Amino acid sequence: MDLYAQNILDRFKHPFHKDKVVQPSLWNQEANYSCGDKVEAKLEIEGAVLKKYSFSGDGCAISQASADILGDLVEGMTLDAILGMTKGELFDSLGIEISLRRSQCALLGLLTLQNAILKSRKEPLRTWNHFS
Amino acid sequence: MNLRDDFPIFKHRPELTYFDNAATAQRPQSVLDAEQKFYTTYNSNIHRGPNFLAEEATIQYEDARRKVADFVGARQKHEIIFTKNATEAINLVARTFGETLQAQDVILLSKMEHHSNIVPWLQLAERKDLEIKWMGISTDWRVRLDPALFDKRVKLVAVTGMSNVLGTITDLKPIIKAAHAVGAKVLVDASQLAVHEPISVRDLDVDFLVLTGHKLYGPTGIGALYGKEELLNPLPPFMDGGDMISAVFMDRFIPAGLPQKFEAGTPNIAGAIGFGAAVDYMAKLGFKKIQKMENELTSTLLTKLTKLDYIKIVGPETLDHRGSVVSFTMQGVHPHDVADGLSSKGICIRAGFHCAQPLMDHLKMSGTARMSLSFYNTKEEIDKAMGVLEEIYSYFTK
Repeated sequence: MDLYAQNILDRFKHPFHKDKVVQPSLWNQEANYSCGDKVEAKLEIEGAVLKKYSFSGDGCAISQASADILGDLVEGMTLDAILGMTKGELFDSLGIEISLRRSQCALLGLLTLQNAILKSRKEPLRTWNHFS
Repeated sequence: MNLRDDFPIFKHRPELTYFDNAATAQRPQSVLDAEQKFYTTYNSNIHRGPNFLAEEATIQYEDARRKVADFVGARQKHEIIFTKNATEAINLVARTFGETLQAQDVILLSKMEHHSNIVPWLQLAERKDLEIKWMGISTDWRVRLDPALFDKRVKLVAVTGMSNVLGTITDLKPIIKAAHAVGAKVLVDASQLAVHEPISVRDLDVDFLVLTGHKLYGPTGIGALYGKEELLNPLPPFMDGGDMISAVFMDRFIPAGLPQKFEAGTPNIAGAIGFGAAVDYMAKLGFKKIQKMENELTSTLLTKLTKLDYIKIVGPETLDHRGSVVSFTMQGVHPHDVADGLSSKGICIRAGFHCAQPLMDHLKMSGTARMSLSFYNTKEEIDKAMGVLEEIYSYFTK
């Protein structure tokens, strides 16, 4: 069977950022209620920069691998830059074609992360429509 | 003759293994022909047209109503209201019968309802300040009849005839009796049940029953509400417009009688005629044969799934009180990954909450994979799926 690219399967089975110990000052949890995927983001912030990203979660291989690969991209980025990150930028880093039916799985980590920042700023939270 | 030959999709996709029949079934050629024949040989609007073509279309549309009435054993054909699906049929009852309820009245639901038999009642409860109470689930995965829930405050019991997740068939008669004993009416969501078991609304003595055409091998966009004539008659109209009136003045209107009162506007004429053809197809095959074929396949599937120690069946592991809808989980693998794995080998299943989130919350599960079988499936297809399940398990866990 060759279902997902090897990197997706590797990061699902052996994640880098999942349950990593951090000193979080921002926290947020989102779920994809149509399939039950959950991601909880824990963020260590220094000034306007995301210093360390950690997440916990439960869900399909794509949702969990994508939330993990997201960590490679966002550590060291400013919070504003993270809010500006697009679906395309994330999908490019996943290295696989994301079908329409799996795009919410792949976006769950990014939605959780961006809403963690928006929540701390007391700004309106994003929904899936933000990425459509 | 192979029944599979009746379904043109398998000619176009010979490799297709379709195990998602509880979501929607495939259509036999006779249903497609009936719809096509309407459009190509007697296409016309119905009921009002004073010409021969309109009459021909009206006869066929009303004939489809009679077929659906016979299919569920209704006394009168005008006790069948065509809707676009089961969801619309439930909303129709919520927006008409529901409006007769008073603050503090109780609606009783089961924890295994599809969202379509929950959300209209939640909304009604909010509008009218009603209370929703829930029937639980027994150890054999069926709706549990808890006599303590049935009191004079209960005005409606809305319950599924067969779970779209667990596959279990509800013991409807005792629930209907308990409801009637306290003066409550009963709505049965027969979207799944009607595909696998013969229904007699008279024998059940049910007040409302809803169907959807596309799960019954008919077209999408057509469904039906059965309601007892004496209950439907005093209800206000559901939607307002053409066809549902008998007279309109500048300051008032007089609604039409049954069933037109509830069928505002030009209906899905071709869909209704296709629905009639689907019901004909089922009647010709007969439930005896349908059940024999589906039970054999379901039994095979259950036996094979039980042998895999990393698979857990969510629902009964035997044929007792169940239809051919089988949910399961695979240890360490998310249901969507199971579905993707099967899909990559040409096998369609459903995965997730199956529009039954309260059930999933009750079971403390984040979804299941669901294989739902039809008489046109084969044991070879089940064998193929079992092989792929083993591949998926090693792919994700080894």
